Amino acid sequence: MPYFESRLKVNIKDFDEIEKKLEFCKKLGIRNLILEPVNTFKQISFELREKIIHQTKLNIYFRYNLTPNSVNDFKNAIKNYNNFPYILSVESKDKEIQINAARDSRVDIVSFSDENILKTLSQGVISLTKQNNSFIEFSLAPIMVRNKALQSKNFRFLYKFIQLAYKSKANIIISGNFDELFDLRHPRSLLSICHSLLDIPLNSAKKIFMDNPKLLIEKIQNRKNNNSIESGIRLIKGGELN
Amino acid sequence: MKRERQRYILFKIIKEPDIRFGQKEVINSIWQSIWRYFGMKIANKIGLWIINLNFEKEYGIIRCSHQTKYIIISALSLVQQINGKRVILSPLKTSGTIRSIIRIKNLIMNKNKRT
Repeated sequence: MPYFESRLKVNIKDFDEIEKKLEFCKKLGIRNLILEPVNTFKQISFELREKIIHQTKLNIYFRYNLTPNSVNDFKNAIKNYNNFPYILSVESKDKEIQINAARDSRVDIVSFSDENILKTLSQGVISLTKQNNSFIEFSLAPIMVRNKALQSKNFRFLYKFIQLAYKSKANIIISGNFDELFDLRHPRSLLSICHSLLDIPLNSAKKIFMDNPKLLIEKIQNRKNNNSIESGIRLIKGGELN
Repeated sequence: MKRERQRYILFKIIKEPDIRFGQKEVINSIWQSIWRYFGMKIANKIGLWIINLNFEKEYGIIRCSHQTKYIIISALSLVQQINGKRVILSPLKTSGTIRSIIRIKNLIMNKNKRT
């Protein structure tokens, strides 16, 4: 079953750490993994990308996360990401930035992973992402805190905003986004947590962990193809299907 | 009265190599997790039973009622430590009969041996 772990942060300057994380994911049985290089705005080099992909039998994909401080900052940054061959996400507390990101077709994911950012999710952003066929991302990392009071608070916020997005029929992706190795869980386990603790019906939870990330990957692959105009529409030469 | 159906869950125990703990500590941590996240209302429906725990080969099999399968999977996933040591109980497979879960376990173990 193609379950996806949609966000695993890695430091691209430390290959040993990447190796360790990939080995741990393999041990957990994760097959599809989306890596996010941290502390860099530069694209990951071709050599390193190939090295990571050949290091393991897992299906590895890459994503980049923008964390702009202002709308101008966002507009300046996004100029460099036309026809970007990887997944691009935007994460910000600022509602204006969120709305601009949701409106922009270059942005694939508007991320609400952080518990402080999660509280700023609004119906407007959900509608815009739906219009734009982009995704809203939540993360289950906040539930792994050890403090019971903080944990229940995080559960409450996750429940409230995931239900808001789910009832608005948004395109949702839920990732682990765990920093520590021993916090990592298989997406199948996360699916079960979403079903039993966050009240997401089983079929919808499966869609969130399996179908939506797959759609996202397909969207990126179509973007790489120059003949593809948008999802499902492709230019063909002289009626040939090649 | 209609007989209650059971589910057998195979899970992997991931821990640091030099850490040891017993069966009692594992079952206590699973119960603690059930209590913490689901409470008494759910805990009395579970019917938790340990079938097999193998720390050397790092796997375990537990039995629960079929209605609480996802609750047990969540509770296992939410166990973070046993005796203060970091551990992951990662569910691998669920089955309706003990025979098939053992067959699946053997298949997985053989596959791991080969790789």
